Amino acid sequence: MGSLHDSRIHKWFATSPPVAWTVRQLRELLIGSLKQGPIPQHVAFVMDGNRRFARNHHIETVEGHNLGFESLARILEVCYKTGVKVVTIYAFSIENFKRSKHEVDALMSMAKVKLQQLAEHGALLDRYGASVRVLGQRELISPDVLQAVDKAVAMTAHNKKAVLNVCFPYTSRHEITTAVMKTVETYSTPIHNLPTPSKRTFSESHIAQTIRKQMLEEDTESRVEQPESRSASPSPKATAQAEDERSSSTSTAINPPEKDESQEPTFLDPETIGAQTLNDHMMTADAPPLDLLVRTSGVERLSDFMLWQCHENTSIVFLKCLWPEFDLWQFLPVLVEWQWQQKKLREEQQRSRGRSKSD
Amino acid sequence: MAARGTTPQQEIAFRRGTLHGKQLDAKQREELLKPFLPAEPTSSDEAKAARRRRASLKSKPKSKRHGPVKTFLYFAIYHFIALLFSIFFRFRRAYRLVRGKLISLLKYHHRTPEFIAHDVKNLVKLPKHLSVIVEYQEDDGSQGTAGLEGLVNDVCEIAAWAASAGIPLLSVYERTGVLKNYLPQTHASIWNTLEAYFGARRKPTLSLRAPHLSSYSPPNTPPQTAELNGDDLKEDRQHLTVLLLSEHDGRDTIVDLTRTLAEMAQKGDVHQEQINMELIDAQLNDHVSSEPDLLILFSPTVQLKGYPPWQLRLTEIFHLPDNKGVNYQVFLRALYNFAKVEMRLGR
Repeated sequence: MGSLHDSRIHKWFATSPPVAWTVRQLRELLIGSLKQGPIPQHVAFVMDGNRRFARNHHIETVEGHNLGFESLARILEVCYKTGVKVVTIYAFSIENFKRSKHEVDALMSMAKVKLQQLAEHGALLDRYGASVRVLGQRELISPDVLQAVDKAVAMTAHNKKAVLNVCFPYTSRHEITTAVMKTVETYSTPIHNLPTPSKRTFSESHIAQTIRKQMLEEDTESRVEQPESRSASPSPKATAQAEDERSSSTSTAINPPEKDESQEPTFLDPETIGAQTLNDHMMTADAPPLDLLVRTSGVERLSDFMLWQCHENTSIVFLKCLWPEFDLWQFLPVLVEWQWQQKKLREEQQRSRGRSKSD
Repeated sequence: MAARGTTPQQEIAFRRGTLHGKQLDAKQREELLKPFLPAEPTSSDEAKAARRRRASLKSKPKSKRHGPVKTFLYFAIYHFIALLFSIFFRFRRAYRLVRGKLISLLKYHHRTPEFIAHDVKNLVKLPKHLSVIVEYQEDDGSQGTAGLEGLVNDVCEIAAWAASAGIPLLSVYERTGVLKNYLPQTHASIWNTLEAYFGARRKPTLSLRAPHLSSYSPPNTPPQTAELNGDDLKEDRQHLTVLLLSEHDGRDTIVDLTRTLAEMAQKGDVHQEQINMELIDAQLNDHVSSEPDLLILFSPTVQLKGYPPWQLRLTEIFHLPDNKGVNYQVFLRALYNFAKVEMRLGR
């Protein structure tokens, strides 16, 4: 492998405007063509090899990370143009805090600067329709970086077409633990104290209120019809007062006996916890299942990334190239092979379906 | 490096945010990026309407340009690429198949533990806990590896290799967990295979277990004897533990743990703050398995098929591209890869 400054003529040629233009057209053409086949809905990248790249090319580690970021920008472009819905990147592991302070600080300031730049160009991001989300242990991010993070997230929150998940301080075990913890929290909170006991759109308190109102209306109607029954029902003012009192209290009870029950807390049944419950508490809850996970730099390990998401039917690909070298030309074979496998899989399914039909 | 389609000026501009030595502000940067961006979003109705309005106002043929011709071009190129790559994949598979066969010819173990021990002699580090993923194939009995018999056969062979290489703990993952129903029979089969490899006197002691089921080691082979007796015997008769895992030990077990914790929390036995990574790790470690050092896949691609997720954290994952079925060379190459040693074919 030569140094970055080698083969100047080659570089001059490749970066001369007409060649650059042609290459760009070619890229667009390839991306457009890839779109014709099946496209993974959710792709994850482990951006490994920045430091080794820097070491190989005798440049600063921080500069390696910078090049890695450029590589990320290029690959994101490819992903979103081909129609990938969700891209998840492993930006920073909780374990990475153990690296040298200099490097951690540099990475953090890089994240800050890039996120700030991102926030400046909200309109451009809208073209991709991508929203940024940050997954991980927020407590570990320093306040100034967190501010930039929140700003970028808020700015792009309205975009629905695509999602960029940045795992920043993240480990998968932490994610699973948090999911378990949250589930336990949900199930160990008495139902009556829950703001919304279920995810149904109808709120019980609202229904109760409507019923009460109807009852009240019926009351008043009957009162208008039969004024002599007035003594039986409480005066309208009194009912209105009671209504106010009731609606001001958070209790969802319509009638008093239920209120007594709430002293003995009732819980959701733990037996109803399923894999889906935990899924919903993962940080990638609303993302489609992970289709493809790419790790560069030849290390064949998951390193605490997306364990819960990728152990089912995800195609995991380990590549030899280092992350800063990763580009469309390395990604293309991966994508085409995935498409090929997908086609094979579908054929097989069809065949087995046909067989089961003929049986 | 070269094929990015940007000129040096643009590259510097993107990298440093300067053009001709001048610092750019946000607007100038946006101008610079314009040609690289995709078309304006068409998903939202608003944008669509705006675009239609603009198109009807200004240039009607412009919207036509992205029409059938380009679509056809994309279509053609897509199929061309697909064809090209499928030819490439087939050739690559054929090449790898031949290479694999050659290696397995050169490195055959002859069912002799000494050969295997010799093969791994130069490796500086061996996994303490090896894990493999095997598959239960219902039909497709082209190589006699189908059904329960084929599966047991695979497990026996792998166990024998692991014992010969000196690996003390082997966990076998099989999605359906069918072997868990036949613990005694599986134990007997592995036992026989070990005998065939090592001979009756030197065969290692064996215990077979599965999560939630008690360990199975028949009375005539108590696992402790090797440790209790003298050192020389211990060296001779090593102990192999085989652990059977299935899909149930993955997500379902974590779900079970959550249920238990939720129940305990409802009774007030456990507080939310007490649930941490160490607790979960300890529970899963004790009840399912520890983290394997090396995971070997015998499938052509890396798909984990429901392998317990928690345990996979730092596990080295090895697979031989385009390999199909259990064979010794995959096992050996995985060990070489794990020890970061280049495998030499000539001896």
